[in-house]
Amino acid sequence: MIEMSHVSKTYPSQISALIDISLKISPGEFTFIAGPSGSGKSTLLRILFCAEKPSSGEVMVNGITITHPRFKKVYQLRKTMGIVSQDFKLLRDRTVKDNVAFALEVADQPSEVVKKRVTEILRQVGLQEREKDSILSLSAGEKQRVAIARALVNDPPLILADEPTGILDAQMTTDVMKIFTDLHQKGTTVVVATQDMDLIQSYPYKAIPLLAGRRVDMETGDEVRQEA
Amino acid sequence: MISFLRYAMIRAFQNMRGNLFPNLTTIGIIAITLLIFSVFSLIAFNLASFLKIWENKIEVIVYLKKGIQISELESLLKNTQQIEGIEAVKYVSPSDAMTFMETKLGSQKNLLEGIQPAVLPPSFEIQLKKDYRNSAKIKEVVSRLKQFPQIEEIQYGQEWVETFSGIIHLMRLTQWILGGLLLAAMIFIISNTLQLTFSSRREEIEVMHMVGASPAFIQVPFHIEGLIQGFLGAGLAVLLLLLLFKVFLLYITPLMRGWLAGIPILFLPLETITWILLGGMVLGVFGSFIASMRFLKYS
Repeated sequence: MIEMSHVSKTYPSQISALIDISLKISPGEFTFIAGPSGSGKSTLLRILFCAEKPSSGEVMVNGITITHPRFKKVYQLRKTMGIVSQDFKLLRDRTVKDNVAFALEVADQPSEVVKKRVTEILRQVGLQEREKDSILSLSAGEKQRVAIARALVNDPPLILADEPTGILDAQMTTDVMKIFTDLHQKGTTVVVATQDMDLIQSYPYKAIPLLAGRRVDMETGDEVRQEA
Repeated sequence: MISFLRYAMIRAFQNMRGNLFPNLTTIGIIAITLLIFSVFSLIAFNLASFLKIWENKIEVIVYLKKGIQISELESLLKNTQQIEGIEAVKYVSPSDAMTFMETKLGSQKNLLEGIQPAVLPPSFEIQLKKDYRNSAKIKEVVSRLKQFPQIEEIQYGQEWVETFSGIIHLMRLTQWILGGLLLAAMIFIISNTLQLTFSSRREEIEVMHMVGASPAFIQVPFHIEGLIQGFLGAGLAVLLLLLLFKVFLLYITPLMRGWLAGIPILFLPLETITWILLGGMVLGVFGSFIASMRFLKYS
């Protein structure tokens, strides 16, 4: 599903966000990318959904080598993944339903399919009562659930979530994580980047810790050298 | 496909409504730039049609040497008629010339009293074939005529034809140089206005990128917006030109009317108007294309 081999990312300002990262995430796996702020979690996720290009190394997502120089169809890759970000990235001038439907509309889905699927997914995230409400009237937790609903509506095999619980309270965090664990149980690959160590320890899933752009050992904090 | 086009059209109109002021400014600037180009087109078109009318009337007058014999005249006439490009040759005897002058002078024909027709040279009035009624081709015919020793002088308004052709050439050149500069300015303006639209819709574009909207899905509404801007700007330019044209006709001085001697002043033909409208639309799309290359690319 996801394979990174000796990936490094250095920004033009000479800041190294990732240094020689190798990892493998199998289909259906739930994985945390763990680390404090500035450890390179977001950069790693941004590389996975092609918002950044690595400076070196090879990345394969859903069977496509996205670092191949001839790989251009980013939009086709993104249709196979659901992206959730900490700041939700919702359209503030639209309703809950319209925000979720948007992901299907850009895929040129017929309106009856859009309507049916949006209703289903809003029920799944517990927002069926709020479908006609404006985004501005929602709490942070509800906004995050709308963002998740939008990421799920195309039924993607991979979910990439960057700090999805970063600004949520404990109850909201539990609600959001329940959606992710349910998805995982249905076979979706879920990758969650978080700096919340308590959250990681609450779940029995694999964690890939990063520190200052390097992959480190969870217990000792020593750099992990992994052949990929 | 139809639902996509419907979506793209709706989005384009929503964008324009949402960014009304920048859009109106762009349309206005396109209209002004295309108006400048159209004014030059109109002047060049009228000069060209004026020249065409004049070229249709063009003829070569060949003055023969006085005292030419009838037998020589007949063979010269025959040889002249055989020159390529000559449609008809009319012999004008000295007495015909005198009659013509009397007619021209009208009430003042007494000025010619005492003057014998013999002082006037015999001449040929030569009508040229249509393809030969231009400066270069006339010169070809004239050089052939000059080979006949019986010919004294040839007149065909050479300088006038050349000067006028030169003016038209200069007008066309100015029109295209100016057109090129205005074209670059228009593309720059359209692409910059669309950048404002992109900024105002940055959030939506980001989400579109996030959910994997195809580049066409993101870009086509902006291209339609550019096309509409270009079309409206060009349409406005043509309307303004028509208005200026009507005002010009209304206020044209009697002196100028006399100088034009009945030559009609024409508005641009439908074909040229269509080209201006199409040009505006193409430029609009091109401007949006440039802007989208810079701002709508998938990162």
